Amino acid sequence: MYEFTPVGWLKHCVFHPVEGFEDLRWKKQGSMKIAMLIVLFFFIAMVVDRQLTGFQFNDSYVKVFNVVPLIVQSVVYFFTWVIGNWAICTLLDGEGTLKKICIYSAYALVPYIVCTFVAVLFSNFLVQDESIWIYAIQYLGMGWSVILMIQAMRAAHQYSFGKTLASIIGTLIAMLLILFLAILLLSLFQQVYVFGYSVYTEIAYRIRG
Amino acid sequence: MSRNKISIKRILSAALAAGMALTMTTAVYADEPYTAYNYDYWDDAIPSQSAYRVDRTVTGADMGLDRLSDKNDPLYVGDDAPASLKDAKDLYYDSDNETFWLCDSGNNRILRLDGDLKVTGCYTGFDGQTEIGVAEDGESKFLNPAGIYVKESIFDDELYVYIADTDNSRAVKCTVESDREMSLVQEYTKPDTELYDSETFNPSKILADKAENIYVVCKSVNKGSVQFDKNGDFQGFYGANRVEVTAAVIAQKLWRKIASNEQIAGMTRNVPVEYANFDIDEDGFIYTVTEAANATTDAVKKLNPAGYNIWDNAVGDEYSFGDVASEYDATTNTTYKCRLTDIVVSDNGTINILDYENGRVFQYDKLCNLLCIFGTKNSTSDQAGSFLGPNAIEARGTEIFILDGSKNDITVYTETTFGKDVHEAVLLYDEGKYSEAKSEWEDVVKRDGGYALAYVGLGKAALNDGEYSEALDYFEIAYDQDDYDKAFKYAREEFLRNNFTVIMIVVIVLIVLIIVYKVLKKKGVRLIKRKKKEGE
Repeated sequence: MYEFTPVGWLKHCVFHPVEGFEDLRWKKQGSMKIAMLIVLFFFIAMVVDRQLTGFQFNDSYVKVFNVVPLIVQSVVYFFTWVIGNWAICTLLDGEGTLKKICIYSAYALVPYIVCTFVAVLFSNFLVQDESIWIYAIQYLGMGWSVILMIQAMRAAHQYSFGKTLASIIGTLIAMLLILFLAILLLSLFQQVYVFGYSVYTEIAYRIRG
Repeated sequence: MSRNKISIKRILSAALAAGMALTMTTAVYADEPYTAYNYDYWDDAIPSQSAYRVDRTVTGADMGLDRLSDKNDPLYVGDDAPASLKDAKDLYYDSDNETFWLCDSGNNRILRLDGDLKVTGCYTGFDGQTEIGVAEDGESKFLNPAGIYVKESIFDDELYVYIADTDNSRAVKCTVESDREMSLVQEYTKPDTELYDSETFNPSKILADKAENIYVVCKSVNKGSVQFDKNGDFQGFYGANRVEVTAAVIAQKLWRKIASNEQIAGMTRNVPVEYANFDIDEDGFIYTVTEAANATTDAVKKLNPAGYNIWDNAVGDEYSFGDVASEYDATTNTTYKCRLTDIVVSDNGTINILDYENGRVFQYDKLCNLLCIFGTKNSTSDQAGSFLGPNAIEARGTEIFILDGSKNDITVYTETTFGKDVHEAVLLYDEGKYSEAKSEWEDVVKRDGGYALAYVGLGKAALNDGEYSEALDYFEIAYDQDDYDKAFKYAREEFLRNNFTVIMIVVIVLIVLIIVYKVLKKKGVRLIKRKKKEGE
């Protein structure tokens, strides 16, 4: 029973929200390569959503295209989630390893990514009166991914449902803390750099006389 | 011989150079002291062409105000009558008689000017039954008159002059007797009723509608303009502003819930800002402007006779007036705010709003599309076209007149070729004649390729003519999503109609292929199994 290819396992997880991740864990399956590919597609979906959405639905500021916020919103958020969740759940007797959390979380994102692509495709054919279809697809993808994410975390850590929800809320707070500290660190290093640079220029002026 | 040749050559080349130099110097021209700009879909300021240029400035001397102190002139007022304006506050153009009326507030007089802005009448007061401001000669004198409105009555075809006589705490309705004399018809003073609860009555601006109801804007009366009927009876307040919702207002609302009565009594009250000025159009709609800095709530209103604001963003529209963001001037380290002080509706339907703080005029069409911005207020205000204290704006057809109360002159703006193209196009566009406006819009685009409204106009023309893909291109340039959406609907319909057979064939072929594939998959497996069995 349950002899799948790695892609087959992904399919099994996505279409079996209740048991899929438990099976994945039981069979010790899940590919890190596929997980990384999914994160890449997550980023691509963000870019596509911004750039290729039909003109009548696209509200983004088209004069400049800056890829950094999109990277932050996809890749950086994902890895902050993984690290935050690992940090919280290690304290809360979770069984998941960092690798497991990474793979399971990535698998859970698939419906959202696919639905984003489909919504972008539809937005090029539909008019504003029919926008309900696009929203329906987007909400479907989002809802499905949220359910999968809860199931994935439950399976990874072998939690009860309530504890999973609590750990997810904890993870969100941890994410905020991590990002805050990261920004703090960045600005600190920037100041250190500025200090070092001004010392350097000072010395350079002295030497030149 | 050869020497001669050389000298001739020299003379020729020198003459040529001189001629060139002469033609080059004649090519000098005066530019406006401001850069014209417009706002795009994202409210970014986009450079544009000047739609107006300064025609001339008219001072008191140009108006012929020295005639007022000339004993031999029929307009003689007195030996000490000033020959210049002083803190003039209002200008009105009476299009029926082609006369301008000017409130020379600092000199306490009303001036009547003809179409060329030459003085034809001067009024320092009026005769009639009144007790306010009566001088020795029996005339009731004006004291700082700040607002004027002139209209021919539809009841008795008489020309009535309505004057807001601010420092005399009254508004008056007069008839013109001669170039020097007015006589009183009706005097409006502070209403003697409980409803009028303000301490003062200082009318600053005045209007009359067709039924000769009088609307008076009073200083520090924030319930709206004070309305009187034809007989001079107080009717109530008309079209009050609302309080602008800011964080401070919300915070105070919360504090009031927990504060004691004594504390509440000590708090400042949140009251709306009174509007600064108004104008009335042919159809009886009243347009108001509020002078509060960067006002977003009720900055400009179009009121119907019941006092209901038609340009209300609270019901889902997105009207915006004046400058979008406060402008920061790095050279003087000041942030300019937008302070709309006067509004005028022109005969051709354009709405012109004057910004006191920056000396800018914002011109809109009937549907509140921003057409152009011109005028400025800067340190070099001696330049024609820049202002010190722009107090009033008036329009005659496409000409714009701006009264400056500090420079004491009137600046006359006339439209440029670009402005003319825009106005012609907008006139047709607002009537819904999109196809007719096409060639005008093309002229506009030739002069300013970044003029978004022109592309909307061209897009609508293309949509009207059934050229959908062209319309889509135009709407995309203008970033007009709603009209793009409409055009897209038609374009999609047309595409489906033209390619229906191809699409259907592709769909049917795909379905057939899928069925064949599935059947083959099952049967094929069976066939292989059967062959295997046969082989055994």
